[in-house]
Amino acid sequence: MSAAGSTLVTSSARRPPVLAEVWRFREFLLRLVVRNLKVKYQRSLLGFLWTLLNPLLTVGVLVVVFSYVVRIGVPHYWAFLVSGFFVWNFMLQMLNAGTTILLEHASLRRSIAFPTEVLIFGAAASRLVEFAVELALALLLLIAIHHGGVPASMVLLPLLVVLQVLLAVGLVMMIATLAVFYHDVQHALPIVVLILFYVSPVFYPASLVPAAFQRAYLFNPIAGLLTLYHVTLYEGRFPPATLLAGVTVAAVAVCLAGYGIFNRFKPLFAEIV
Amino acid sequence: MIEPAVTCRGVVKRFYHYEHRTTSLREAFIRSVLRRPIHVRHAEFTLRDFSLTVAPGEAVAFVGANGSGKSTALRLIAGIYAPSEGVVETRGRVGAVIELGVGFNPELTGAENVVLYASVMGLSQREIAQRYPAIIAFAEIGAYIDEPVKYYSSGMNARLAFAVAVSIEPDTLLLDEVLAVGDRGFRERCLERLRGFRARGGTLIVVSHDHVTLRELCARGVWLDRGRVRADGEIGEVLDAYERHITGSSPAPAD
Repeated sequence: MSAAGSTLVTSSARRPPVLAEVWRFREFLLRLVVRNLKVKYQRSLLGFLWTLLNPLLTVGVLVVVFSYVVRIGVPHYWAFLVSGFFVWNFMLQMLNAGTTILLEHASLRRSIAFPTEVLIFGAAASRLVEFAVELALALLLLIAIHHGGVPASMVLLPLLVVLQVLLAVGLVMMIATLAVFYHDVQHALPIVVLILFYVSPVFYPASLVPAAFQRAYLFNPIAGLLTLYHVTLYEGRFPPATLLAGVTVAAVAVCLAGYGIFNRFKPLFAEIV
Repeated sequence: MIEPAVTCRGVVKRFYHYEHRTTSLREAFIRSVLRRPIHVRHAEFTLRDFSLTVAPGEAVAFVGANGSGKSTALRLIAGIYAPSEGVVETRGRVGAVIELGVGFNPELTGAENVVLYASVMGLSQREIAQRYPAIIAFAEIGAYIDEPVKYYSSGMNARLAFAVAVSIEPDTLLLDEVLAVGDRGFRERCLERLRGFRARGGTLIVVSHDHVTLRELCARGVWLDRGRVRADGEIGEVLDAYERHITGSSPAPAD
């Protein structure tokens, strides 16, 4: 494919590019993903195994602590944990990427005109590859040991992954835009992520939250998303339609808002070093 | 009538200096509580009412003092900056070598950068593979191609940048002071390449302080003075006028 014959018009009237514009850069997107994964694991002996080892070790520690020390009282705690932990891990990595993506490709952005959101999609796709490996392993364990079969609710899985990606991309776009203008973001983010870890049902079920706070608690879309995963994968039941609808609305809204903010300030990104 | 390769109509580019930009949220918060403006901005005009039409196959030189807006004009044409006012239109693929680079990531190897650059310019994996040997040969970079670009000398960096920018076969090529970096041999090979590029009908816009090269390479000169086009015409005449202006002690007329 070639850009020859195309006319590029830039004017002071900003208009957000359609996704077709991004599609033109799919080859770049692919190279970006391959490169991201290669950089991360080259010069390491275990290579891609690290992507599994790191979360698996964390899962192992959490299982021991919350099954034997601080007893949370969830039957088959390990199964509960693996049905949501990797989703959290994905969100965590995406949020952290928000402050680094635009910096990482600063020289490229200052030298070539391309839709900057491609970089965000590239980061999301790279993480998604890692998440897919983790999820496959979790599913294997859940199907083979926990359920001894495939619960029907698992058909919802593709939808949950889509919601997860929409939510993450929207949040990253907001964080990346803010980070360009305010250096505080990179200091504040670790604190926000730490708080999110405790106010989201990562290592405990949302049902432990007192009924009076349930609504407020699930207002956090990450909490809603994790609960959907727990119900679908761990309990093997279909989640309540209201929860599914609520998380869908939240994910789409966050994604649109993030995209809107990102596009609004995008023309300034190249000018700010 | 042939459609122009590059059209700039009434382009204005303002940069803002924010007195409180990228400082901190604390500052922004305090100021918003005190109901003071969060951003005190000072506009600085880099280009004012810049209009230019370049026909396909033309070779144009931008000349002017530092800070006259040459590089900003190139960045606007490349689509990296959005104009504050006015319209910039380009036809076909635009390649740009600005600030001695094409946007290499210093942490990546030369080879990885070449692939990334070619793919962002819209080349398929097969096209990249086809052109790769020629790029390496032209850049004369040898085994360094597998080393991170941060270890490259400025000459190696410029050679690779030029090689990869030409290899994507752009319809319009923008060069910002690339020819000044390499040694004489590299400069000769660049000029050879550029003549070939022009012979195939490529449009060229060059920013350089090397007037000898500009006279040789370009037919048309555009003299930028504090964000405005001061002269636009045959390269020899424009350069003569500009040289008279800088050697002559007459101060620039106030605008």
